[in-house]
Amino acid sequence: MSELGIPGATHAPGPTAMQLGRDREDVVVGDEIVRHRLWTRLVHWAVAVTFILCVFTGLPIWSPVFGWMARLVGGLSVARWFHAWSGIAFAFFTLWMGVLWWADMAFDKGDHKFSFTEYLRFKEPEDPEVGKYNAGQKFFFWAALVTMLVMLLSGIVLWYPMQFGQGLRVLSIVLHDIGFIGFFCAIVGHIYLGTAAEPGTFQSMTRGTVTKAWARLHHPRWFREVTGGK
Amino acid sequence: MAIQGLEIRRSSASLRGTGTGIRNLPRVAKYIDTTTCIGCKACEVACQEWNDLPLVPTEQVGTYQTMPTLNATYWNLIQFREVGDQNNGFSWLLRKDQCMHCADPGCLAACPAPGAIVQYSNGIVDVDPERCIGCGLCETGCPFDVPRYSARTGKMAKCTLCVDRVTSGLEPACIKACPTGCLQFGEKSDLLAMAAHRVEQLHKDGFAQAAVYDPPGVGGTSVITILRHGDHPEWYGLPKDPTVPPVVSFWKRILHPIGYLAMAGAIFGAIGHFMAFGPKKPKDEAKSAGSEA
Repeated sequence: MSELGIPGATHAPGPTAMQLGRDREDVVVGDEIVRHRLWTRLVHWAVAVTFILCVFTGLPIWSPVFGWMARLVGGLSVARWFHAWSGIAFAFFTLWMGVLWWADMAFDKGDHKFSFTEYLRFKEPEDPEVGKYNAGQKFFFWAALVTMLVMLLSGIVLWYPMQFGQGLRVLSIVLHDIGFIGFFCAIVGHIYLGTAAEPGTFQSMTRGTVTKAWARLHHPRWFREVTGGK
Repeated sequence: MAIQGLEIRRSSASLRGTGTGIRNLPRVAKYIDTTTCIGCKACEVACQEWNDLPLVPTEQVGTYQTMPTLNATYWNLIQFREVGDQNNGFSWLLRKDQCMHCADPGCLAACPAPGAIVQYSNGIVDVDPERCIGCGLCETGCPFDVPRYSARTGKMAKCTLCVDRVTSGLEPACIKACPTGCLQFGEKSDLLAMAAHRVEQLHKDGFAQAAVYDPPGVGGTSVITILRHGDHPEWYGLPKDPTVPPVVSFWKRILHPIGYLAMAGAIFGAIGHFMAFGPKKPKDEAKSAGSEA
């Protein structure tokens, strides 16, 4: 008889996955693997929240169709102010996230084989050489960093238009718009793939863990590296 | 409506129903004859006084000009330039710099705040500070570099063509103050006739290039300026053939629809993908979930 009083159940020795996940990742606990440690998750959520703030304060300036969004922060004048500062916060946290993931996101040998359209067909099995992040995730990471920089620089011009020449202001309007459209579509895809499309993924950003089966399916090489193949 | 008695022809960031559609008033205009301007700056003072604008320190730039450029609290500036070439000789050119009140205003087209810039039925283009968000996009849309941001109020400011006086049947303050009569106010059609007459006089006087500056690229302006060197408006600091910057219409007419389509496409694409390819689940989990059910 175990100490829990349930036949067959044993008290897990050592810390739980969530406890370990506070400052460690890529560790196996029972049937789970810690994928993102607490700090990474917090920074990612700061990025997510500031992105949503940017969308809700930027869209009403983009088009009056979204004027209702400005009401959520107290009107268009507030939205204009809020947008600039949430943009700064977004850039800050995205850079931070960049630093945290920089090394993991380096492209490696097998990555050129990745095809996004092929990937979206959801065929199995996955390429056995896919590590902790697949090439699509890496591309998204770098594209997000670059787009963030474009949005930041053009945003600064739009924030203080009077300090810049007409040519730069015009360029900034166009870049900020195109950057946003691309960013928005990519984020929709990112949220979709991280929730409905690939069950078991979302909890890696909440609990910080994924199941072994999930890792074997989506990131086989990472699974082998972390578990030793079991 | 901001001012009673003046119907709105157009207002910024309005997707449907941009005007009130009643009382199509005749367009008013300012007439500026730069050939009889003596650069006395009475119009500058009158503008400051009537609009109760705080003083801006003058800035000596080595010419007869009060300051280098317009200011959020200095809406009317007599610009001074020394120009000359072999054909035209040497001259001192004075020009009244202010909002041109375009018939097709680039500021209004670029403005993202509903109703922050309005064009009244009589052609006056005005900023409603209550709705202005101070983003400065109007400045990007303006071919004449007129709107200015006021750090004190957080809003844009520019000449109102004394819309408050005009509504009450008075001429703008600058016109009232002009001692030489080089500034006149009235219906634009009358003033254009007067300007044509004056240009004819100038032609007879030997200024063969004299012309009226009423640029068609912005649909004409409610500030018409008589230039002795009509073939060289840039000598006066006026753009030769001003138009609303093409980026404004590119932005609103092309990028906006593309944006709507792309955003909707991403959302519906995700839904469609889910229905076509379904979730990608680990096999063993799916199996155990199936056996539980």
